Amino acid sequence: MSEVKVSKVAGLLGGSEGRTFSWDKVRQVANPEIIIAFTLFTILLVLAVFGQFLQTHDPMQGDLLKRFTPPGQEGYIFGSDHLGRDLWSRMVDGLQWSMACAMSANVLNLAIGSTLGLLAAEKPGMLRIVVNQLVYTLQAFPGLVILICVVVVVGQGFLTLVFTLGLLSWVVYMRVVYAEASSLFQREYVQAARLAGVSRWSIMFKHVLPGVRASLFVIFAFHFAGLLIAESALSFLGLGAPLGVPTWGNMLAESRQYMMRAPWMLLVPAGAIVAAVVTMNLVGDGIASLSRKTGRDIDA
Amino acid sequence: MSSSADTARAGPNAGQGFQNLIAPLVPVLQQLTRLVVLIFMVTTLLFFMLRLAGDPALVLAGNDATPEQLAAIRAQYGLDKPLIIQYLNYMGNLLQGDFGKSLASGEPAMEKVLTMLPATLLIASLAMAYSICVAVPLGAWLGFKPERADRRAVSGIIFVFQGVPGFVTALICIQIFAVNLRWLPSLGMEWGSIFEWAITENFVIPIPLPSKTWILPSVSLAWFLMPSLTRVVAANTAEAMREDYIRTARAGGAPSHVLLLRHALPNALLGAAALVGTQFAFLVGGAVITETIFSWPGIGWLLIESTLTLDFPVVQALAFCIAILVFLVNALTELSFQFLDPRLRTKG
Repeated sequence: MSEVKVSKVAGLLGGSEGRTFSWDKVRQVANPEIIIAFTLFTILLVLAVFGQFLQTHDPMQGDLLKRFTPPGQEGYIFGSDHLGRDLWSRMVDGLQWSMACAMSANVLNLAIGSTLGLLAAEKPGMLRIVVNQLVYTLQAFPGLVILICVVVVVGQGFLTLVFTLGLLSWVVYMRVVYAEASSLFQREYVQAARLAGVSRWSIMFKHVLPGVRASLFVIFAFHFAGLLIAESALSFLGLGAPLGVPTWGNMLAESRQYMMRAPWMLLVPAGAIVAAVVTMNLVGDGIASLSRKTGRDIDA
Repeated sequence: MSSSADTARAGPNAGQGFQNLIAPLVPVLQQLTRLVVLIFMVTTLLFFMLRLAGDPALVLAGNDATPEQLAAIRAQYGLDKPLIIQYLNYMGNLLQGDFGKSLASGEPAMEKVLTMLPATLLIASLAMAYSICVAVPLGAWLGFKPERADRRAVSGIIFVFQGVPGFVTALICIQIFAVNLRWLPSLGMEWGSIFEWAITENFVIPIPLPSKTWILPSVSLAWFLMPSLTRVVAANTAEAMREDYIRTARAGGAPSHVLLLRHALPNALLGAAALVGTQFAFLVGGAVITETIFSWPGIGWLLIESTLTLDFPVVQALAFCIAILVFLVNALTELSFQFLDPRLRTKG
């Protein structure tokens, strides 16, 4: 059942992979919101992958004679900053950095969170207690505090950011996998697999995890948005990307001194963050309503 | 009901009377155990991480200190002993309530944190209050008839607002209200007055503020909570409005405002209360960013400041305070369920 559900979602996401994919079915399940969500997502992906070809200037090379050019003038689509660098090209670079960072951290979260969730859901015991206490700690204590300490210890950089975010913010995955897998472990098919001598890990990852996949898709999208915010906030505080790297957080931090002269230096990265976050939230909503819809079709 | 009389009257069933007495305390004890483990884990983690980060003596002495000066400082603060001894010493002092002295200023670390705490509590509670005051009526209005065009439009706007990170809101607020319109101060220009007032009055929360500096920080902080709270209230109200008991009440001729206020909203607020509890830790994280942007002299600002200067006694005291604070808010939320949900109240 969930196989079909997921393949429909996957079919909409990826195209050819879904076995039951056809445009008729897409028309059945898609509503305007979903279409907008996936259109925006496609634009985001294209910018992230082919951004290099769409940049109009070198994002690191400034023309000091053309500092603070307002948007739309002299070939600067979004204007230029205090060193005369093109804000559009820098924004594209920032998008690539943010997407790469959020994606890597998200994959790490997904792996850690769902593994721990499965392990804790499998059977009561010491492991469940330890994992739940860990979750309680990470939830009750602002992760930002630990993150700042890690950055002070290890220093700024892409990998530091990915690993700290990746190792600290998997709680949401764990909680959902734990809640849903707990009931799946009680199902007859899992018992049957156990009796048939299927190994523990195989039951966990081949038999139980697929039943949670639909929820994991939804969390992946929403959590991606959350990680985009976290990444830019840390860069803004000077704790994320190294100074000078064109990321949205760094661009916002740079804009603070020139608020009077060039408000577009603030508005361009701010708009970019909001657009990316809203897109990912829409995608999350879209996947959620898709899986609800297809689920209802099958149940009925 | 006096419990000792209860136990005495129980006679042969005294064991059960004791159990009855203990039963309501079990969740409290469980929570307290979790808190103790939490504080232990965080303190230990922070201790070793901050020591790995660098030598506090170097920070204290400055770049051009002689080796003798460094050795003197290490001896003074006990930094010359092995790490594990330092750790045991530290934990021993902690158990006696001694958090050590700030490496930067020499004043007791906990005192330093407590003088900063009112400023954070002020903007955090204001932010909570704004969020609840806006989210509950707006959410109820949205959830009452969610399918109407005006509600859908407002829902869409809130959806976009939810995607605006709090620190971006803070920056845009500064741009509009402080830079362009010049209505409100930004960047804590008058923070000095609030700060000293808090010290001399000895931890009294400074409500009659001499300036308008608190407006922008608290509004920006409210942004961390308001959109998601509104959406939860709206979704829960909409769900409650579809329930059978609402249809029954409507068939019985109850006017729509009674339907909403008396029947649907109380149920919707349960979920909202849970969200406020779980989001408080997030709000504290938001306070770190907001306070840094506005140079607001609260514990978030102190946290960044003291972590970057490796002032580990202060960081530890801060972590301790934040853990207690989050714990208290969560406990209060659980308690508020008792008032909001009659089903829990009658269970006894």
